[in-house]
Amino acid sequence: MIGRSLRALPALVRVGFVESLAYRTEMIIWVFSTTMPLVMMTLWTAVARSVPVVGGGGKSWGTTAFVSYFLSVFIVRQLISGWAGWEMYYEVRQGTLAMRLLRPIHPLLSYGVGNLAALPLRAAVTLPVIVVLFATNARDHLSHDWHVWLLFPFALVGGWVITFFANVAIGALSLFMESSVKLMDVWLAAFFVFSGYLFPLDLFPDWLTAAAKWLPFRYQIGLPVELMTGVHTWESALPLLAKQWAWAAALIVASLAIWNRGLARFQAFGG
Amino acid sequence: MIEVQQLTKHYRVHKRPPGLAAALKSLFKREYTAVKAVDGITFDIKAGERVGFLGPNGAGKTTTLKTLAGLLHPSSGQVRVDGHVPQKREAEYLKKIMLVMGQKQQLLWDLPPAETFEMNRAIYDVPRADFTRRMKELGDLLELGELVNKPTRQLSLGERMKCELAAALVHGPKVLFLDEPTIGLDVSMQVVMRDFIRRYNEQYGATLILTSHYMDDVAALCPRVIVIDKGTLSFDGKLDDLVQKVRPEKRVTLRFSQPVTREQVSPLGQVVTCEGAQAVLQVSHDQVNSVVGRALATLPVMDLNVENPPLEEVMSELFARSRANREEQAA
Amino acid sequence: MGRYLGLLSRQLRTSALLAAQYRWDFVVDGVVSLFFMATAIVPLFVVYGDASRPGIPGWSFGEALVVTGWFILLQGVLDGAVNPGLQAVIDHIRKGTLDFVLLKPADAQFLVSTARFQLWRVTSVVVALVVFVIAFSRVGRAPAVLDVAASLVLLVSATLLLYSLWILIVSAAFFVVKVDNLTYLFSSIFDAARWPSSVFPNVLRFVFTFVVPLALMTTFPAEAMLGRLESSALVGSLLGTLVFAAIARWTWLKAIGHYTSAGG
Repeated sequence: MIGRSLRALPALVRVGFVESLAYRTEMIIWVFSTTMPLVMMTLWTAVARSVPVVGGGGKSWGTTAFVSYFLSVFIVRQLISGWAGWEMYYEVRQGTLAMRLLRPIHPLLSYGVGNLAALPLRAAVTLPVIVVLFATNARDHLSHDWHVWLLFPFALVGGWVITFFANVAIGALSLFMESSVKLMDVWLAAFFVFSGYLFPLDLFPDWLTAAAKWLPFRYQIGLPVELMTGVHTWESALPLLAKQWAWAAALIVASLAIWNRGLARFQAFGG
Repeated sequence: MIEVQQLTKHYRVHKRPPGLAAALKSLFKREYTAVKAVDGITFDIKAGERVGFLGPNGAGKTTTLKTLAGLLHPSSGQVRVDGHVPQKREAEYLKKIMLVMGQKQQLLWDLPPAETFEMNRAIYDVPRADFTRRMKELGDLLELGELVNKPTRQLSLGERMKCELAAALVHGPKVLFLDEPTIGLDVSMQVVMRDFIRRYNEQYGATLILTSHYMDDVAALCPRVIVIDKGTLSFDGKLDDLVQKVRPEKRVTLRFSQPVTREQVSPLGQVVTCEGAQAVLQVSHDQVNSVVGRALATLPVMDLNVENPPLEEVMSELFARSRANREEQAA
Repeated sequence: MGRYLGLLSRQLRTSALLAAQYRWDFVVDGVVSLFFMATAIVPLFVVYGDASRPGIPGWSFGEALVVTGWFILLQGVLDGAVNPGLQAVIDHIRKGTLDFVLLKPADAQFLVSTARFQLWRVTSVVVALVVFVIAFSRVGRAPAVLDVAASLVLLVSATLLLYSLWILIVSAAFFVVKVDNLTYLFSSIFDAARWPSSVFPNVLRFVFTFVVPLALMTTFPAEAMLGRLESSALVGSLLGTLVFAAIARWTWLKAIGHYTSAGG
């Protein structure tokens, strides 16, 4: 199964990529719906215009600091996104999941590849933002430590893994219950608040900042962005990266367990 | 009742060629091709008629039905149904018609069919007394019983289709378009549906147009058939005449008291099959009497049966011929 | 007219029955509603900190809270009455059953927009009222009766705007192949309405006032309630709403025409 799946991988990636090109209008719609960091950027720069905002850790946030933070958030959000949960939900409801199960490729692999295949186009969307980030004085607030930039790809991959497998876990729940899509909404709402998507987490009251450290959301967006914007040194980033991958591992195990059980149920009852 | 003149319907279809390069190219420039789904069809249908649309997949049957129902605008040509122009979708008109699609359903999935019936009553503004009476009649005819109070998702396909029909008839439409109404149903359920549709037509005098893949549906329900092939009308008339035209031969089935050989049978006519004690012959229309006479005289015949060739065969021959015609013309 | 009222009550009944069908979902829905309303307030607390931060220029905490109250109220309208209908249309398009809607002798726009409601979201009204009370106690005074009346007029126009925006998005659904993202797009754009429109730079403020009139939905009613909306702005926003609604209706009819002439 694994060997055959791997051999089919290039074709899967290609089909997924071509699909992402064919649905270009949908892609634009999606990008528009992820412009929240830019809205938050204008909000926070307005707030910080006269007096810098001081965070819980004592960090002082001026307008350019907010600009580089939220541009980084926008980029990371594009690159770590996944929507397998919705796909699974719709396929279970419409009964088309059976078609996916018939293919001699592990279904989770085909979801994963499908989600990853849209990355080139997403990266293209982030390109202008990356240019702005590095060409303006927003650059001053980026990390100057190349060790940290070495860790950044790992944090990004970790963020994607958490997003994807959380999607799988919730999507697989639709094999048990009708309302899994609402759970997805709850996850998303919590994600917006606790990931650093709407504001840097050190602006939270202390107890919420502390809570965010133990929740998975911060490791989806917050950690990669913090690495980009130079919040951490190489040494202080490592334990956080370890926590991120612990979450990733936990979600992989949990989502596989839910998926396998759900599938057994699906095959027994025919959905 | 229904007048269609020179109806055409062309679609513009976005070409999506395979391959990565083509996909990248279509990001910037899209190519379109025109598909002639219906290409100049003319027919008249009188009130109370039952007409079957026949044709291979993609022939334009569903497009014609949807145009009649006002869901599609014709590219050119005239369509009138009971004095209305369907594409205007006037409320008056919509109250007279209904389209039933075997592959799609209007019943609310999570609620009992009775709720959909009530909803349609409100939408079609059917007086309560009429509604109650009609639902009772439909319930009796279709043997709905307690089905209407079970959530739709718990019904079998056949039960769902019965309720689907009932929901479509809440407002007592005068014109009924049925697109593959028996698709996926088992044989006995097909018979139930057929009987019901015929009785509805007879009791209410409703005009009926039916498309179906099952020739038996058409044979049982429609005295008149219209054959559509590649968007053009290739036959309009009685089903028997169609069979006569395409396959003037009859099938004579002979059963013998003892096995016979092919050589014994072949002098009588063209042998379709000859196995053991049974043979099937294909005999031209005017030869049937003499062939039967000779068979009785020369062979140990126990039982015989004369019938038209199976409709499926007739149709596939018809379509094969028209395809050959087109290719000839193209060449 | 009476017939349409009857239809509306029938559709509401169907929504209630659907909610009762899945009781577990109904409970989850309630919890989700409360959770969403909570997350609507959190960002404001973060921006103002524990009163240690200057917050949004020109808006005290209490005043900004009035905007949040309006945001909660309209998010209730959006999630309770608008988004479920949008979802219903998308389901119709996906399953190809929109034909059935178009076959009905009633206005198709009416049928799809009343197809589904999320009854739980009624609680938003209560929560919004509580937020208003807290907000005005922070401001230190009660709103004037006339100002409340003006804001109620704006509530009607805001609802109409939201609905028109929805019609525009549904119309887009006829042209786009994959439509899953549309509800999501709508909700996320609407999210910008939680902030007073003055925080946005001029270009964005123009967009949020005249193109996607979010400012008219939350900032204007809040300003009216606080008694600082000029009457010309009130009249202007009412007229604008009517124009917007007319455009939306026109687009809808065009979209239906496109759907039936191109063929689904």
